[in-house]
Amino acid sequence: MNGNRINRRAALRTMLYIAAGTMVLPACFRESGSKTIGLVNMTINEEQELLLAEVVETLIPSSQTPGAKELLLHLFVLKMVDDCHSPEDQRNFTEGLEGFAAMEDPATGTKFINLSPADRLRFLKQIGDQDNDKITMFYSMTKRRCIQGYMNSKNVMTDLKKYELIPGRYIADFKIG
Amino acid sequence: MSNINFKNIKDRQFDAIVIGSGASGGWAAKEFAEKGLKTLVLERGRNVEHVKDYPTTNMYPYEFDHRLETTYTDKQINPIANSCYAYKEDSQHFFVKDHEHPYIQEKEFDWIRGYQVGGKSLLWARQTQRWSEYDFQGPERDGFAVDWPIRYDDIAPWYSYVERFVGISGNRDGLDTLPDGEFLPAFPLNPVEDHFRKSIQTKFKNRYIISARCAHLSKPEPIHIEQGRVQCQNRTLCQRGCPFGGYFSSNASTIPWALKTGNLTLRPHSVVHSIIYDDKAGKAIGVKVIDTESLEELDFFANVIFVNAATLNTNLILLNSKSNRFPNGLGNDNDLLGKYVAFHNYTARITAEYDGLLDYRTDGRNPAGGGYIPNFRNVRKQETDFLRGWAAGFGANRGNVQDRSGVGAELKTSLLDNSKWGNWNVHSHMMAETIPKEGNTVWLDAQKTDKWGVPLLHISIDYASDDWARRDDYYEQMTAMYEAAGFTNIKTSNDPRRPGNDIHEMGGVRMGHDVKTSLLNRWNQLHQCQNVYVTDGACMTSTGTQNPTLTYMALTARAVDHAVKSLKTGTI
Repeated sequence: MNGNRINRRAALRTMLYIAAGTMVLPACFRESGSKTIGLVNMTINEEQELLLAEVVETLIPSSQTPGAKELLLHLFVLKMVDDCHSPEDQRNFTEGLEGFAAMEDPATGTKFINLSPADRLRFLKQIGDQDNDKITMFYSMTKRRCIQGYMNSKNVMTDLKKYELIPGRYIADFKIG
Repeated sequence: MSNINFKNIKDRQFDAIVIGSGASGGWAAKEFAEKGLKTLVLERGRNVEHVKDYPTTNMYPYEFDHRLETTYTDKQINPIANSCYAYKEDSQHFFVKDHEHPYIQEKEFDWIRGYQVGGKSLLWARQTQRWSEYDFQGPERDGFAVDWPIRYDDIAPWYSYVERFVGISGNRDGLDTLPDGEFLPAFPLNPVEDHFRKSIQTKFKNRYIISARCAHLSKPEPIHIEQGRVQCQNRTLCQRGCPFGGYFSSNASTIPWALKTGNLTLRPHSVVHSIIYDDKAGKAIGVKVIDTESLEELDFFANVIFVNAATLNTNLILLNSKSNRFPNGLGNDNDLLGKYVAFHNYTARITAEYDGLLDYRTDGRNPAGGGYIPNFRNVRKQETDFLRGWAAGFGANRGNVQDRSGVGAELKTSLLDNSKWGNWNVHSHMMAETIPKEGNTVWLDAQKTDKWGVPLLHISIDYASDDWARRDDYYEQMTAMYEAAGFTNIKTSNDPRRPGNDIHEMGGVRMGHDVKTSLLNRWNQLHQCQNVYVTDGACMTSTGTQNPTLTYMALTARAVDHAVKSLKTGTI
């Protein structure tokens, strides 16, 4: 199982090199340095990228099946916001991300990154309650894109929900149950 | 074919030239080549070979960088292409980009184009309905446009001829408002679509819901296998090009068929500048072409020329075909060329829910898209204070319900849950006839040209108040029909589509009885230059409510038959 996971990571790394052409690499694969993945419009540093990885992992955690971090959905979120959102959205995203990083948990006075997984979950659940618009916008963009990336991931589409490229049928009155 | 030396004039002489390789041009090519004429097809865009040039066709959603979305930058640069429902990350390469081929919008108009071999036949919605006698009688009975010079009986055998080769799935519904054709088995209505059908049949007179008729091989015949096409595999990824040839396109069907005869020369990268008219001969003798790769100007010659460049480009070419005899464009003594352009009004939708038949869902995908409601309005007599009517698409579907409000394991479990099914969602969109108006027109700019020296096109086409009256009627009648079927949460909504977004622009070179009021005769020949035929959307006198491509294909086959006979008898 563990070996499998390492192989999968290695394969992912290779795949990312090939697929993206540009260097779209998660921070944990890089030697060092504060510059993050090859975004065109936004500047995201390594610390922010690692934080985003923890946010998506909290949204869709690893279980018997891979979670968002392993599926690199934090990088997918960044790529989509960078390529498919307006400059205004991108400003809100980066400012919201900064606000999110600095925000303290009302219950413990601790920042998200330093919380336990259970407290992180509780932290995200109350995001909507606070009145910083930018943080809310950052969070909703992240959640939407994370879900999109998850539902459209190879893992979900081939192993878990089975997307059919070639259905070869239309059954108009399929009886349920 | 690419090693032909076109510098030699003998290599530029053909029996027939076809301008354009989309659905109608492909049919002209097939018919001429099959009848033994040396045929040249000129296509302004690149070649797209069936299967080989469908780069995205077998890709999974996760193999697209943006999971099929187009980027913000692309939307900024190409707002018109992006306005088309079929323009996504998997099909972008088959669409004209706004900035590459500009035109002048006197009024807002979405000119959706596909510049490649196959044209928009790669991208079309594949809905195929015959016109009825009522449609051809429309202008005469209601006193708009001019009388069609043909009637249903003139085209019916040609519908059959085309349908057998194309492959149309549908039911024989026995409606005189939407005549039956040569059908392969229909894709069935699902339980809610069928429930709607039955409700309407019981509670309304002369209103019908039928399985949408479409150009898909539900059960291929030998003629389709012979084309190299096999049964539709229900992918509904048609806009990528179909490796099975499951739907009809020039690329999968007519063009390779014509090439097999050995009589077709297909020349991509060939922008037609104009048709060459010879004053002494009193007819057209060829076509002036700009090679988009070498930028060379080349003349090609033939005894007969078919213009199938797609409606507005066909208008453009004819307007630009100026000679001493025709200073205002070929065959345009009456100054009607480019006028009376019309389209279909697609600006209305209606959605609802149905909480019955919940022990059913669908499985697989339906390439026909669901049901179709033939126009019932003002068909046999005038019933309303607006002219003509509307047809509508109708469908019902049902998906997994996922609660996305949670976080963590709860969210993950909900996203992967396949067991909860919601109510049925039902939806419909309007496809309304528009009345051709003189003021809906296109013309050439006097100075500005594209990079090949062809004048830019001005487009001035708009909705009119009668379009909104038809839309109000659609909202009213469809709401009543939805209510009668027990649908709930009924919502009408304006679909703010600009003219052209329907991709059914028609007219400008209309057919008619006489040279004073029309450009083309009953055989699609220019009245005043009879070896030039126009058989794409430009020829349409009125628009009907049907998706028009099938009619263009039938008119084309009919016109080629006429042209070949006329060449033999020396009348053109």
